[in-house]
Amino acid sequence: MKSLLMILVLISLGTATPAWAQPKSELTIALSSFSAETLDPALQGHNVKYYLSLMFDYLVGTTADGQPSQMGGLASKWENSADYRRWTFHLRKGVKFHNGDELTAEDVKFSLQRAMSKRSTTGYAGPLRALIQDIETPAPDRVVIVTRDPTLIIPTYLSRSLSTEGMVLPRKYIEANGDDVFARKPVGSGPFKFVEQVTGSHIKLTAVDQHWRIGVPKYRNVTFKLVPEETTRIALLRRGEVDVADVSRERVKELEKEGFPVHMRKEEAIIHMWWILGPDGRTPPTKDKRVREALNLAIDRTEVAQSIFGGYAEPAAIPMGLSWSFKEVGFKVTPDMAYAYDPPRAKKLLADAGLGAGFTFDVYAFQLPGLPEGKSFAEAVAGYWEKIGVKSKLIPVDYPAFRKVWVDRKAPGAVGYYNIANRDWIGTYALLEKQGYTPSKLNDTVNDPEIDGMIAQVMRQTDREKINALMRNIFTRLRSEHHGVPVVYVHSPYATAKTLGKWNPGAVMYDLFLDELARK
Amino acid sequence: MLWFVLFRLLQSLVALAILSVVVFVLARTTGDPLHLILPMSATEEDYANARRYLGLDRPYVEQYLSFVGRAVTGDFGMSIRARRPVIELIRDRLPNSLKLAAFAMAVSLAMAFPLGVMAAVKKGSAIDRTAQVISVLGQSLPTFWVAIVLVEFVAGRLQWLPAGGIEGFASYVLPGFTLGWFVVAGIMRLLRSGMLEVLDSEYVKLARLKGVVEHRVIWVHALKNALIPVVTFAGIYFAILVTTAIVVETVFAWPGLGRLAYDGITSRDFPVIQAVVLTTAVIVSAVNLGVDCLYAFIDPRIRYGR
Repeated sequence: MKSLLMILVLISLGTATPAWAQPKSELTIALSSFSAETLDPALQGHNVKYYLSLMFDYLVGTTADGQPSQMGGLASKWENSADYRRWTFHLRKGVKFHNGDELTAEDVKFSLQRAMSKRSTTGYAGPLRALIQDIETPAPDRVVIVTRDPTLIIPTYLSRSLSTEGMVLPRKYIEANGDDVFARKPVGSGPFKFVEQVTGSHIKLTAVDQHWRIGVPKYRNVTFKLVPEETTRIALLRRGEVDVADVSRERVKELEKEGFPVHMRKEEAIIHMWWILGPDGRTPPTKDKRVREALNLAIDRTEVAQSIFGGYAEPAAIPMGLSWSFKEVGFKVTPDMAYAYDPPRAKKLLADAGLGAGFTFDVYAFQLPGLPEGKSFAEAVAGYWEKIGVKSKLIPVDYPAFRKVWVDRKAPGAVGYYNIANRDWIGTYALLEKQGYTPSKLNDTVNDPEIDGMIAQVMRQTDREKINALMRNIFTRLRSEHHGVPVVYVHSPYATAKTLGKWNPGAVMYDLFLDELARK
Repeated sequence: MLWFVLFRLLQSLVALAILSVVVFVLARTTGDPLHLILPMSATEEDYANARRYLGLDRPYVEQYLSFVGRAVTGDFGMSIRARRPVIELIRDRLPNSLKLAAFAMAVSLAMAFPLGVMAAVKKGSAIDRTAQVISVLGQSLPTFWVAIVLVEFVAGRLQWLPAGGIEGFASYVLPGFTLGWFVVAGIMRLLRSGMLEVLDSEYVKLARLKGVVEHRVIWVHALKNALIPVVTFAGIYFAILVTTAIVVETVFAWPGLGRLAYDGITSRDFPVIQAVVLTTAVIVSAVNLGVDCLYAFIDPRIRYGR
């Protein structure tokens, strides 16, 4: 009887071991959003990189801090012609897709053409269409990209640091089975292959035996779970059912107190506000530089960082100034560039502009993925503006409704915002080309001929030092003309299981570098 | 009875036809899905291409006729957001919603029946008061609050039950209870008041005088007649549970129809919105029709009063 009891006690002790203390061959990541949940890189841009970058290889690899790397991509080296119009990429040999097909230059050409096709909705399909003239495949392990103009930006555009255009897809498989089959059962060449997708629930991947990117993967399976509610993500973490979860800034201290490591993606996004242009450009009252400066000086950024973002944010000073690019181009934010909180000076500037009695304008307030503080942030800024006599009418909408108003230029002078993902200098340039370049852009928010001129020069420039100087000048001009309201850089927290070990979530846009976590 | 069913079927079809127009028009008033799927760098040409590719450049009447023509064959087109056939998304999600709703309804009935009947039989007793408290809480506590509390404490802190997802029977318990909690209150109140009325009726008194044992009087004679409003309520609520469990599905990471609808609305995914609304309408119509038939079966006056 005693021995029976002993056995029962031992069994119960065995089963009572908490899930988090058991060794795992599974890595489970709970995310609040999967974006469009599509598995075809050509049908969605940045937001799907979280899970697609494990399934696919990029032509050009990137280090965890976002620098192009000859180690992490299919191209083991690349070179450019003297006129910077021909870029030759040498492919790694012996790389195979998950279905056994060999990866060749034809796959690279096919993938790039597909990413630039009219069907594609990737982030940089448009700029690449304008830039690339031809793609040559002189050998199975060599691809030559010919551009219309001299440029330096091709490797970065096709790297992991930007969107999905650089992902290499299996030509034969897609041609044989069609786009729809590929979108349901994608085949890549990355360290993990597709197992199943249950829409609204999860995406499951399984490791290949050995991969040139990470060797023998540490985990047999990786599962991405879609868990929109944060309380549930944290409960799953506590129960040991997930290993990584995105959490809000306000829950960080509580989780750390419980012993869960919280990894910060420092300055992952800038919370940036801008004024909608009218059909003919900027409209009064924000057409006046003094008004734009006053609206900037009215905001106490330190208080916003502390009270709205729980201290996990830093004041920002440069409109559209994505800080991960500053070091690369040698730009330094000097103390005099930081916006002081100075309501009296703001009021004086408004008075000088003939608006001493204040004015009224619309502020669109909405939540965004990764920015649950969206509406309270808008309310706080409206409160600061109120103090200098600017009455803000908060208009609660969702982001698509705001974007329509913005792009259609239906509400000139009204304000919107976005948590713009931080990125390297090319990514920053691409953003400026979208939101700060007047010619033919629906999304322009700047309307400044001087900035337009500098942006146009960057694209054609092949001297890196001159590019850096141009980028520095763009940032300086954006700041001195107050072309927007940069408020704070937010840090994004990811909580992990207690047993997960070291992890550097990196500094690459919409990519958590989970394959580094899967490295043994 | 056959005429009754045919007439109700015809009414349902007319309602569906009207609804198809309403949802088609309303979905398009919410905004342009291209603002969500196209990148910021998109030019006017990109917008035009995408509009053409998705068939959104055609006149509204043509789009509507094409939508209805395909919908009657079960083809709701491609999701603008997920770029997959909408019918596949519905097929993925609807069974999850049906299973959760069935579980929630079973939980509700299992709790409400004994409590409702006993509260009426033992009016004014502790059971009656307990039932009234449950009823008030059930109808006043917001679903999202109940869901969050259960996830935080029962799943996260006490670790008794799974917090989310569909993995085995245990994962049904918390979302099923949360979803069924509100229905428990409704059914219990209806049953209690129905039973109180019936227990006071002449035929129940007669049954007792004839010496029928008390539990048979209550559970057979009285309950059957008190069930009519309950059947209607439960039937309609089953349809509602299937189609509107957005909060519960979101909190418990349950991939059901409610979340599909929510995602469709927030991303202006017209084909998904249209398909979910029509599927919902078909379910509600079918359940209503079933309830009406059952009602007519239980109460012959309805059949004859056609």
